[in-house]
Amino acid sequence: MTEPITSPLTIVGDPSAAVCEGDFCEIPEHHEQAIVNRRLDDDRI
Amino acid sequence: MSAIKVDIWSDVQCPWCYIGKRKFETALAGFDGEVNVEYHSFELAPDTPVDFDGSPKDYLAQRKGVSPEQVDQMLSRVTGIAASVGLDYDYDHVHQTNTIKAHELLHYAKSQGRQLDMKERLLKAYFVDGRHVGRIEDLADLAAEIGLDRAEVVQVLTENTYLADVKADVAQAAAYGINGVPFFVFDEKYGVSGAQDPATFANVLEQVEREKTQQESVK
Repeated sequence: MTEPITSPLTIVGDPSAAVCEGDFCEIPEHHEQAIVNRRLDDDRI
Repeated sequence: MSAIKVDIWSDVQCPWCYIGKRKFETALAGFDGEVNVEYHSFELAPDTPVDFDGSPKDYLAQRKGVSPEQVDQMLSRVTGIAASVGLDYDYDHVHQTNTIKAHELLHYAKSQGRQLDMKERLLKAYFVDGRHVGRIEDLADLAAEIGLDRAEVVQVLTENTYLADVKADVAQAAAYGINGVPFFVFDEKYGVSGAQDPATFANVLEQVEREKTQQESVK
């Protein structure tokens, strides 16, 4: 079996983006606002 | 120029993984360069029984003590976010299960050059179609639906042929320090955690391409 790559990654992007950890999936509060904002941008509201 | 490699750690019953997949695909559709995508195994709940008798709602209520009202609210919000990227989640018919065999199937599909199709089929089967993705016979049916050899799938899953590959993926995730999914690794250099907006993925792809261009121009 190949040994795991251990060189560190440079982490980029929004650190609060939605992820599942363990058997629980958090829903960041900002997501709802982001959707509302997107719909406002699209003139859907 | 050589293709950009994107390794994605994900689980079949991770709602953000399917949503993140769609957002990543949106970024890919607008990117001119060549990208090779490979999915890797990550088990969110390895202790879940294959034949867990209940839905995610039951699972969260029983295992995590979350009230049914809170679960309803959470699932409603996830369903709404999924709909915003064109995914029709149907939590009333989802079968909570153990995904180890689904991960083995994804490795078998990779050996057949069909991993991306199998990944999409498994996610849709779980979140949209209400299919079971934990039992070997059900997984073999899903594999056959995309043209894989059903009998061979039953054989490799029964014999645990790809179990070591799943464990190697889990070990690599630990080596990278990955605690949650989806998690995207670009050219073994940049890590992106979560269901980010397409613009974030697009920015990373463009950054990696710029760096590859610079590196290859000095050779």
